[in-house]
Amino acid sequence: MTARSEQTTVSSGTLTYAAMLAPALILMSVFVFVPVVLVLYGSLFQFSLTDRQWDFAGFGNYARAFSDPIFWVALRNNLIIVIGSIVLQVGFGTILAAMLDRGITVGGTLMRTIIFAPMVISSVAVGLIWLIILDPNVGPMNVLVSAIGIAPPRLGWLGDPAFSIWVVLGVAAWQYTGFMMVLILAGLQAVPKELYQAAALDGATGLRAFRYITLPAIRNILIVAVLITTVGGFKVFDLIFVMTKGGPANATQVLGTYIYLQAFTLGNSGYANAISAVLLVIAVALGWLQLRTSRKA
Amino acid sequence: MKCFVTVAAAATCFVASAAIANAEDVVEVKYWTLKNQGLDEFVAQAKSSFEEANPGIRIIHEDFPNEAYKTAIQVALNGSEPPDAFFNWVGEDSARFVRDGLVLDISEFGTEENGFQSMLTEGWISSLRHGDGIYGVPMEAVSKFFYYNVDWFAEHDLSVPTSFNGLLQLCRDIRAIDADIVPMPLGNSERWKLNHFITMLNERVVGFEAAQDDYDLSASADDLFTDPKFVTAWEKVLELQQAGCFQDAPNATAPELTRAMFSSGTSPMIYCGSWCAGIFDQDGFTGYAMFRMPAVEGGDGADDTNFVLVQGYQVSAQTEHPEETVKWLNHLVSPKMAKAYAEIMSRVPSNPELLGESDALSEQFKWIANDVASVSTPINVLDVLLENSVSEAYLDAGVEVLNGTMTPQEAMDKIRETALQAKSNL
Repeated sequence: MTARSEQTTVSSGTLTYAAMLAPALILMSVFVFVPVVLVLYGSLFQFSLTDRQWDFAGFGNYARAFSDPIFWVALRNNLIIVIGSIVLQVGFGTILAAMLDRGITVGGTLMRTIIFAPMVISSVAVGLIWLIILDPNVGPMNVLVSAIGIAPPRLGWLGDPAFSIWVVLGVAAWQYTGFMMVLILAGLQAVPKELYQAAALDGATGLRAFRYITLPAIRNILIVAVLITTVGGFKVFDLIFVMTKGGPANATQVLGTYIYLQAFTLGNSGYANAISAVLLVIAVALGWLQLRTSRKA
Repeated sequence: MKCFVTVAAAATCFVASAAIANAEDVVEVKYWTLKNQGLDEFVAQAKSSFEEANPGIRIIHEDFPNEAYKTAIQVALNGSEPPDAFFNWVGEDSARFVRDGLVLDISEFGTEENGFQSMLTEGWISSLRHGDGIYGVPMEAVSKFFYYNVDWFAEHDLSVPTSFNGLLQLCRDIRAIDADIVPMPLGNSERWKLNHFITMLNERVVGFEAAQDDYDLSASADDLFTDPKFVTAWEKVLELQQAGCFQDAPNATAPELTRAMFSSGTSPMIYCGSWCAGIFDQDGFTGYAMFRMPAVEGGDGADDTNFVLVQGYQVSAQTEHPEETVKWLNHLVSPKMAKAYAEIMSRVPSNPELLGESDALSEQFKWIANDVASVSTPINVLDVLLENSVSEAYLDAGVEVLNGTMTPQEAMDKIRETALQAKSNL
């Protein structure tokens, strides 16, 4: 092969790669990069959706965010959902997966299907169903807790600021624990059975086997599950919007719903852009962490 | 074969050019509304009669759920293809679009015999008048009343209260009959229900005139929302709560459920909008009557005022067909269509001319229509009237006062703080 034909092959190969990458790059540019630039640019101005004139505000919107108590409530609620979801969804998901993998011999598929089922329902439908269940006047939850001798909250499950965020967290766990269970179960089923047999010969069974064999073997799966849950916790919007719209009195406000409130209800689009930029920084950091961890895995 | 292809091509060209010519002749008016029960039927009827009378105009109707609409209309009006005519609430929502130059002054249209300016009274038109311009066509008004179960009241020898203290006593009397009966359930999960209460309590306690400078933020910074009567109005909410008028968890109760509690006979009263009459009728409950928010002892309000929220249509400043658009709006408020609107939607139309002729309207609806017509000063609801951030502060304060996490004084301090901030941004 001559140098010229080699050069031609290389350049045609580069062109092919470019052509194959182009659609993805164009779509990414239009739907990700350009909006990101617009959000960052818009965050430096004060304007509403109906304003034709934008007033330059510099970093004023960011300063406003950091001195806005509701912004911190929203961020705190996101963190509660992230940490709570890791404990509930990944924690219970792991326990359920272990039970299905090694503990339950009959009806495992049926149970797996039942536990996974909420995952395939849209969050809006889940929110509406739970609104009925938790209704303080006609919902079955009050009847249930009263039947076991516990007084239901006087202001309602979703009406009491002290309760509401935890109730939403519980509903999110109900919906997504099944997904975590399936993810972790797939990891568990890939652990060679010989390891357990060898461990049993050394006297490691039951919880000891789970602690020293199962958990290290599914470590990477658990890391991915934690990251998926963390990203989901920061992205949460639909469930809260349907169930509480961020109320009562901002008690369940998260960054997503607060951005919506500022942009579309209060007409502070510049401020909403600044909060979006903060959320973007968090999302990028988590994305980077996810990428780094998956590469290690 | 060649001949056949030639003929087919010529025929296609002819049909296509005819279609293009026809499309050029027809003006399309894009019309956006909220998604409301019965509205599809009404619009279909109105569209059919309008397009028959005006073959050169085609109405393109699109409707949206409440929340989606609030967002979509703001985006669309700044976009390249806004609707020609669109629904809006009269108050801050409509005024903001006027200030931002997004809606058209239609004062030079609709002046002919069948135009909206000839058919509607000045009282209605003035609701959308800003300066010398008219920025929309009012379609209907919604009001608010205490509905009560007539048979239940008669059975227990209860009467309609004539004062706020009488209302409190009524709640106590109902609880005395059966402590488990909620006298008037409050569904405040979406926050606007209590806002309607405080709208009227502010009027009854503070008075319409006295509150205006605070509402439009024109009061001085030292005076803004400092009238102690605003606190008194919140205290009246607590008095209602303490008298046992509401159920335990109003902030976690949906408004739909409270309406069902009334129409099913579970609760004997409810404070509900004029639109509720149609809902109760559809639920099969017609044994109800209404009364207004009673006067508050020692308050500065007037008895002949009531909650009246006007709703109507505005025209986009970008419309290329203002004449055709206003023609369509003229048709919607014509006597015949206004009568159909009342019959189909159970709403009080801006043009009541033919309502008396209708056999389809219930006695209760006629009572509501007369009551709205007799209101001396319409009281606009706070979540529509106030600047957005102040409105939001009022909505949140309602939740906190009901929950007991904020006192009336703290609620007003918070509202004043928000109002000062909003005033400084004007």
